[in-house]
Amino acid sequence: MTKVLFVNPLVREEDVPRHVPYGIALLAAIAMRDGHLVQVYDANAWRLGEGALREVLGADDWDVVALGGITTAYGSIKHIVRIAREVCPKTTIVLGGGVLTSLPREMMGWLPEVDVGVIGEAFKTFPEILDRLGAGDRAWPAVKGTISRGPGGKLAMSPARELLHDLDSLPFPAWELFPLEEVYFPNSQVLFSEEGMLATRRLDINASYGCSLICRFCYHLGIAGDMRYVEGKDGELNVEFDRPGAYTRVIRYHSPEYVVKLARHAYDRFKINFIGFLDENLMTMDQSSNRVWMREICRLWKENGLQPSYLRDGSERTESWTGIHWSGTSHATLCTPEILKEMRSAGCSHLVYGYESFSPQVLKRLGKGSTPKTNIRSFFWTLEAGIRPIPNQIIGFPSEDFDSIRDSMGAWERLGIVVKPFFATPYPGSEWFAVYRESIEEQHGGDLEKFVLELGDATKITAVISHNFNAVELLGLRELMLMKDRVRIDEYERVWRASRKIPAGHPSTLYRDPSALAVVGG
Amino acid sequence: MSKLLKGNFEPKKPVNAPAPTPETLEGRFEREAMKRLGGSIAYVSKKKVMWDLKKKD
Ligand code: B12
Repeated sequence: MTKVLFVNPLVREEDVPRHVPYGIALLAAIAMRDGHLVQVYDANAWRLGEGALREVLGADDWDVVALGGITTAYGSIKHIVRIAREVCPKTTIVLGGGVLTSLPREMMGWLPEVDVGVIGEAFKTFPEILDRLGAGDRAWPAVKGTISRGPGGKLAMSPARELLHDLDSLPFPAWELFPLEEVYFPNSQVLFSEEGMLATRRLDINASYGCSLICRFCYHLGIAGDMRYVEGKDGELNVEFDRPGAYTRVIRYHSPEYVVKLARHAYDRFKINFIGFLDENLMTMDQSSNRVWMREICRLWKENGLQPSYLRDGSERTESWTGIHWSGTSHATLCTPEILKEMRSAGCSHLVYGYESFSPQVLKRLGKGSTPKTNIRSFFWTLEAGIRPIPNQIIGFPSEDFDSIRDSMGAWERLGIVVKPFFATPYPGSEWFAVYRESIEEQHGGDLEKFVLELGDATKITAVISHNFNAVELLGLRELMLMKDRVRIDEYERVWRASRKIPAGHPSTLYRDPSALAVVGG
Repeated sequence: MSKLLKGNFEPKKPVNAPAPTPETLEGRFEREAMKRLGGSIAYVSKKKVMWDLKKKD
């Protein structure tokens, strides 16, 4: 029996905490199922600072302090492991999640306090670590999917861990170990739809793993078949993700029965009225299942009494309901009017669409399989179905130019989209990161950790990957886009062309295909 | 009182969540002002002011 303390690090500090960390909630449930002693400290939910953290770390003799999260939690993780090592000198510190997975060797170097890193999926690796510790065994290189320190501090990566295929064998997440009443339920609101705004008791469910698309900006946490183990020139094992010409994926989803049973459990036990589906993309799953998955979830939703009451009764929308409203992520090309209507009728309130841009050349190079036409089509289909589409936009693509900016502005005006675009950001694990790593490091004086510490919402510029524009230009252009100021954008194009010495008759771009540039990391 | 630690056993030392401290008027004002920043709306963040009127040579 192993005594484990999970710590959920801080993330997106500029907003209130809104999401129970699903991965940690599942790992805690697995650890309890396996008979271990488990406590969770949700530092992100409580946000109490160092004093509380020290008290928690000193509350027992922990065998393991385990933490993990997304890459942008790195700053908080760095702080937590330093304090954990100080307060619990003998405890094994385990780090997992997307933050470690994209840069395992770098992370272990930057965080000397961490004993074991779990690379990629932890459903099998983490319980094996707990079992071994319970038996007094610390031979980490024998545990697949880990990175640990050998003699002299040399990093040892064990072979890759296979993904879990029988997802339905997972227990339900241990939501009860998180401050639901104290923190999460009061922050249930999601301002993307009327029903989202009215949500008072929301939980999230992740019903599938993976995404068949190859968007250049995306990272799939190494849990989507997107990660490969490769040997570097020095003979050392490392991980590799999407890079030009090399993409791998494994698509996995829970059965509709598991998904709806879990929703019903959340409804009965926690009295929820809203669920946010965390899935990378509900539509790529639906497509992979030959269009049966989503439809079956909707059917079972109704059969199990989860359809919101006024939709069931065909009456006017009300401000409160029995049943559960829900939301998720869709795809411009892969959605159909039929499935959108089914989803609405089962209670779907809004769907996030990564439209990203309305420029044909940008979308073509993005690998998303969408076009301005399918963006616009899906927008109207979704509205017609009674669901609000949430149209995400990005500026600063490698091939962004004046025309692509005008294309997007035109579509916003026609569709009534009000949006402040994200800046194209090369998060570690994405193809952009693989392609532009050298330039990113250069932009941070050769210090990659500095870049990782700066990463946040992509609402500020952390590294420029646009071939045409620098940070000052991107900030200015985004501002002019928001102000719908085409005149000044045209005016600046003339200045820009003159300064780049582009002859008349040539397009306003300096873009070169990155696959022709040096690719770092593989 | 809420427990900071939630789990399947009693830890040796219980850790309770401190009673929530109500937001100060100053904090509330700065938060509200931040939302409206721009144009004629500007404010001084009191936490960040360096008060030094001594003459430097
Ligand atoms: C919920 C969520 C968030 C939450 C935070 C979640 C959290 N508490 O960590 C919020 C809303 C804050 C968020 C924000 C962002 N997110 Co987000 N988010 C997600 C989402 C939808 C679900 C995550 C999840 O629960 N997955 C399911 C669980 C099972 O996976 P998991 O948590 O990774 O856990 C597994 C392993 O990673 C590992 N693991 C995880 N924790 C631990 C801990 C230990 C001890 C161990 C051993 C293992 C381990 O084991 C688990 C089982 O295998 C994912 C998409 C997705 N479906 O994964 C994107 C995703 C993680 N987000 C992403 C992005 C890009 C962002 C943003 C940058 C978007 C933006 N431009 O604003 C922002 C960052 C904001 C900021 N300022 O920091 C990317 C990748 C991010 C990254 N580089 O790490 C993802 C993958 C979406 C995508 N494909 O683009 N996000």
